[in-house]
Amino acid sequence: MKIHKRSSALRKMKCFPCQFSNTIKSAQSNTSALMSASFFDQADIISTVEFNHSGELLATGDKGGRVVIFQQEQENKIQSLSRGEYNVYSTFQSHEPEFDYLKSLEIEEKINKIRWLPQKNAAQFLLSTNDKTIKLWKISERDKRPEGYNLKEEDGRYRDPSTVTTLRVPIFRPMDLMVEASPRRIFANAHTYHINSISINSDYETYLSADDLRINLWHLEITDRSFNIVDIKPANMEELTEVITAAEFHPNSCNTFVYSSSKGTIRLCDMRASALCDRHSKLFEEPEDPSNRSFFSEIISSISDVKFSHSGRYMMTRDYLSVKIWDLNMENRPVETYQVHEYLRSKLCSLYENDCIFDKFECCWNGSDSVVMTGSYNNFFRMFDRNTKRDITLEASRENNKPRTVLKPRKVCASGKRKKDEISVDSLDFNKKILHTAWHPKENIIAVATTNNLYIFQDKVN
Amino acid sequence: MEVQKEAQRIMTLSVWKMYNSRLQRGGLRLHRSLQLSLVMRSAREVYLSAKLEEDEEGRLGPQPCLGEEGAGQPPLQPAAAASPGPPAPEERAAPADRGNAPGAVDPEPMETQDSSGDAPPAAPAPGAGRRPARGVSLPPPAKASRKRRSSSLDKPGAAEAGLVPTKKARLEAEEEEGERQPQGQDGPFPSLAKVLQTRFSGMLRGGPPKGPEPTPGCRPGDGVLSILVRAVVAF
Repeated sequence: MKIHKRSSALRKMKCFPCQFSNTIKSAQSNTSALMSASFFDQADIISTVEFNHSGELLATGDKGGRVVIFQQEQENKIQSLSRGEYNVYSTFQSHEPEFDYLKSLEIEEKINKIRWLPQKNAAQFLLSTNDKTIKLWKISERDKRPEGYNLKEEDGRYRDPSTVTTLRVPIFRPMDLMVEASPRRIFANAHTYHINSISINSDYETYLSADDLRINLWHLEITDRSFNIVDIKPANMEELTEVITAAEFHPNSCNTFVYSSSKGTIRLCDMRASALCDRHSKLFEEPEDPSNRSFFSEIISSISDVKFSHSGRYMMTRDYLSVKIWDLNMENRPVETYQVHEYLRSKLCSLYENDCIFDKFECCWNGSDSVVMTGSYNNFFRMFDRNTKRDITLEASRENNKPRTVLKPRKVCASGKRKKDEISVDSLDFNKKILHTAWHPKENIIAVATTNNLYIFQDKVN
Repeated sequence: MEVQKEAQRIMTLSVWKMYNSRLQRGGLRLHRSLQLSLVMRSAREVYLSAKLEEDEEGRLGPQPCLGEEGAGQPPLQPAAAASPGPPAPEERAAPADRGNAPGAVDPEPMETQDSSGDAPPAAPAPGAGRRPARGVSLPPPAKASRKRRSSSLDKPGAAEAGLVPTKKARLEAEEEEGERQPQGQDGPFPSLAKVLQTRFSGMLRGGPPKGPEPTPGCRPGDGVLSILVRAVVAF
């Protein structure tokens, strides 16, 4: 799919406002002009979005510890209305707020990451994590129930066994579909610092969880212990210079994983080399451009997300201003660099003041690894076509788009004269940020999360 | 000059954010604390290098400043703080750590932040920033800051950083105290200056007599940095 085709063909399928709260709270007014007032419950802020392996299910986690799963309707063959739409399939409370008595700290229930397991039977499994605890959830459907027991009276009391004279075999009868979520495993107490990533191994038996300083390896069946495979905690904490920001297993090699750091480096580790992978097999680092030095150079080089391509040959990293694609065979520089919002480079000081400079944007690949996508401010998101080198900026908002309308490309005017339909940097709303995006593994359907809304777009099928 | 002011502003802003992050739900975030301390450090470096350049040009006499060698570590009290500015929260935070400052003190910094506006002026900031380091009497950080200081003994700014004792101290302090009071009240952090005065009356090394220039301090960042590092460690 070429970008220029997509630009005219992306249209909105559905927008899911958060349905959990109707309370409107007024925002604090002492913010700068760059930020808009926001009226919604903090608990509804979407914190993670993930398609499952088939793309039929889409899970979102929010700040209130809830997981909402959407399911794609089966294709309507008669109308051939393109692909099915996504509807709410299941909602459950994954994590609750907890209190660490030893440190006198509250543990947030916000869901940091969700990762799906590949489907092995009728049920679906996913891992969800907050800052400290990972849970394995089983989501199963129930659409039949056994009926015809003769063991109870009309009012529900059990009959006296001596009055039961016949043996009745109950029959399964259809019932309204019920989707149940139950926690099957709870992996707790293994992380001193805040968990930022989980990643399931290609062996589908183990997974890793990473916090600021350590990475642990778990077996999905074993909850009472895990192996520490990376530990970058210095003996003297005063010498701390970098933290782990993201980690992921290689999609095909079950012995390989990468982790990114706050210094802008990525380390590839091979678990066959040693039990503790403190020494990397490869170190990916691009030398800093000295002309771009400022107070904030160090913090904007911090990598907020790392994702392997589906092929396993490339990996993508997101730092504050750019997306970089690395070839695993070349460590000294990325093979491609895409500027997401370079016009913000001169605004770093203001972004530091309003804390936006600390925003952690994620990125994702499309199914064929030809296009990458990431979010920006003002509810803009960007796509970069690696083959045609074209890029596009689109906006996720309800104001301009009715369902089924085609999205219009946006442009930000960095300086000078603003053309018609362009938006100047100063009028960007930094309260409206897209941090989480996901791309269907097989089709051109994308899920884009604004602060508290989820947008699903697909390309037009002619 | 501009660069210096900007660096100063960023330093105080970072301290403010550092303090604020302690109040966040979920506890101190290691990554955030690290990023804040990095910004602090680069701002400090810029500030120091700009300062040194300026002093070399200006050829000012050695200016005694708030000396670290100022004896023992007097306990901090959340004293006469009528309207502390952003650096003061750090000061408050230090006694808070030791359980001195009750919760009542905490809302103050928030209010003042609004009232003092976006650009906290430079003058008392370095002094304030430095104080907590002295005030909180934990041996390891003091050792650490002592170590760092020694590395810069040879630098030209050492004298005015108070590393090399100057014999003029007492007299000047008395004079400058007299000077300082009216100055202090003009400044945006009048009570802070007052506290500084009362606490270190005998040892106060005056700020530069010239108005807008901030108090000479090769060490302000250090004090705050060690606070930040301590914050990171404590987590």
